[in-house]
Amino acid sequence: MARSVWKGPFVDGYLLKKAETARASQRKEVIKTWSRRSTILPQFVGLTFGVYNGHKFMPVLVNENMVGHKFGEFSPTRTFHGHSGDKKAKRA
Amino acid sequence: MGGEADRDWVCLGVVRAAVGVRGDVRIGTYTAEARAISDYGPLRVGLDGPDLRLRVVRSQGDVVVGRFEGFADRTEVERLKGKLLYVLRSRLPAPDEDSYYHHDLVGLAVQDETGATVGRVRAVHNFGAGDLVEVARSDGDNAMVPFTRAAIPVVDLAGGRIVLAPGTDLA
Repeated sequence: MARSVWKGPFVDGYLLKKAETARASQRKEVIKTWSRRSTILPQFVGLTFGVYNGHKFMPVLVNENMVGHKFGEFSPTRTFHGHSGDKKAKRA
Repeated sequence: MGGEADRDWVCLGVVRAAVGVRGDVRIGTYTAEARAISDYGPLRVGLDGPDLRLRVVRSQGDVVVGRFEGFADRTEVERLKGKLLYVLRSRLPAPDEDSYYHHDLVGLAVQDETGATVGRVRAVHNFGAGDLVEVARSDGDNAMVPFTRAAIPVVDLAGGRIVLAPGTDLA
């Protein structure tokens, strides 16, 4: 069942404060968080979070397309190492 | 894969099973687009096997069904089951500016700003939040570094190394 709209998106309070502090300080530091359940808000765009996956903090650079998703979606708890094939990576 | 002798060859797929009685095979692909497996010319079946041209019949997800040229019988293709399919790295087209094949990045030495080697590139991932380079640290642990100009200012394929920006967290 979907979350009621009147409640608004869920974000852990401490994460919101950390993000506001980081945005105000203008520093490009990684905001470490264990809060995989928090929703990505528009004010997080451009910030880099380190989202814990039970083992380490995975770097997650938030962009506009990620708004509305949860942080945990971008930090998988299991890593599969397959063949690289013809896949390419673009340096952002 | 992983040995220096394998650097010239890129694994694009694996023969999973025979399909039907006319020599079709089901192939699991490692390419970005499944059907692209036949775009780079004949595929080498196993590193010491023959070069065979593949005609893709249909695809679903990362699996294609196709037929190797010269194979028209199920019994013949059953012998290929489990074989990896390779192409020469030189057959892949040159990537765009600031794009790199994962194959080229894996195995590069990872250096800090002083030039000291701190590990090797183990894999490149993308979980939806941009490309990440997995670094196998010299002490045996792994670390994830975003594949950005800010975190990795230098990618030196000829020199076999990437250089991390000062202060990059390898925890």
